[in-house]
Amino acid sequence: MNCAELRDRFDAYVAGTLSEAESVAVESHLDTCIACHEALANHDRALGTTATLPRSVSPPTDLWPGIEQELASRRRLRGRVTLPGWLLAAAAVLVIVVSSAGTLLFMRRLPSASPPVQPSNLTALESQYSAASAELAEALERARPHLSPETVATIERSLRIIDEALTESRQALAKDPGNAALGQLVVAAWRQKVDLLRRAAALGKAG
Amino acid sequence: MRIRLVVALLLLAAPLAAQQKIDRRIEIAPDASIRITNMAGIIRITGWDVDSIAVVGSIAAGSGFFFGGKGQFSKLGVERRDETLAEPGSTLEVKVPRNARVWVKSGTANVEVTGLRGEFECTSVSGSVRVEGSLKLLIAESMEGNLNASGPMDVVRLKGGAGTVTIRGARGDITATTVGGAIVAMDGAVVRAHLETVSGTIAYDGSVDPRGTLEAVTHSGDVTLRLPPEISAEFDLESFDGAVFFGLMAKGAEKPFKGRPLSFVTGEGGSHVMVRSFKGEIRILKR
Repeated sequence: MNCAELRDRFDAYVAGTLSEAESVAVESHLDTCIACHEALANHDRALGTTATLPRSVSPPTDLWPGIEQELASRRRLRGRVTLPGWLLAAAAVLVIVVSSAGTLLFMRRLPSASPPVQPSNLTALESQYSAASAELAEALERARPHLSPETVATIERSLRIIDEALTESRQALAKDPGNAALGQLVVAAWRQKVDLLRRAAALGKAG
Repeated sequence: MRIRLVVALLLLAAPLAAQQKIDRRIEIAPDASIRITNMAGIIRITGWDVDSIAVVGSIAAGSGFFFGGKGQFSKLGVERRDETLAEPGSTLEVKVPRNARVWVKSGTANVEVTGLRGEFECTSVSGSVRVEGSLKLLIAESMEGNLNASGPMDVVRLKGGAGTVTIRGARGDITATTVGGAIVAMDGAVVRAHLETVSGTIAYDGSVDPRGTLEAVTHSGDVTLRLPPEISAEFDLESFDGAVFFGLMAKGAEKPFKGRPLSFVTGEGGSHVMVRSFKGEIRILKR
């Protein structure tokens, strides 16, 4: 995935609506591209600012007298305007469509950061996570001499916790393969593992 | 005897003499990007209403201090002269313009931040990070240290590991993840919150925006959400091997549910509360 392709996917990535495969591709690009990392941070900031905007803005209460006066003066100038019935009907339809779309957009709930995982996608997804974590584990091995023994111990303890969680979730999923919520937990454990390995490898590289 | 005393005093004084005191200042833009590095010791950052950076502190023996920049960018910090030696720790007290964008790198150094309104990003290995203020953006991660954010921040992204993540007074969009550390979020009024840990516990005490989402995911940690009893929300709760207690409206005892998902709507719906756990207990209680 190149920078332009990545930036086209920022919205979907932040909203958590990308497929897991695309998310992994996005994250691996972000790990190596500072420019995109900063662009994503800017994007995140913009979203944060938008999220804090007021949901509605009421007009000042003292506007109406001025508008009424203006309308009255225009009526006096132009006289009565009669519109054909079909135009009024079209206008009414347009108002309904626009306001419904606006309402839908306005009422849309913020997307989930943990979208449900379709069991059919899980196998492909797991093999990608597995490959990514094997690659990152190699990077961590190379970085290990640069990390303090305490940090290495913490990383190993954390990896054990995640691996146990992964094993338990996968065993449960094997008994109930159609359970999308269990799939969510399996993916959450993989995500934690890949993220931990990536951070640990980066610490060693930086140190 | 006298010679021994003199030698002992000299040995005690040597590290003090080797420490370098610093007191420096440069002018900078009010929204400048500032990079600060100190791998061991303490970094204290304070936002102020002055368009300059002022640094005071003491630099450990065997380390050097660097400081430069103008206009929109500045870089300062401590570097070890010999990377193979462990650094005893330096203290940096840095005043920066309130609306600056500040980036900090720490190894074991603890980081304390107050009074910023711009953006703050910090990466630490095992140091703790404590941030107070009304930042537009906070990003912090520490593999072992505690992370603590306090104030009405717009966007918060905290990645812990073994340490506890504590968030107080969050108002916007927060994401907090740990592996074994607990996640505690208090006095929140979030628009979107995603709290995720593997074996740590999650405790949330606050409200959710009428169209907001609150998600908590654990493998084995317990989840406790304290919410306003009048909340209008869709609840989607499931623990595969743990009990779910819903005590938001109940005057009497909480009802435990086990082994099946619990989905329902309170009021007219609107916000969404989702909790997933493999074997942790889930408790929804009233504030």
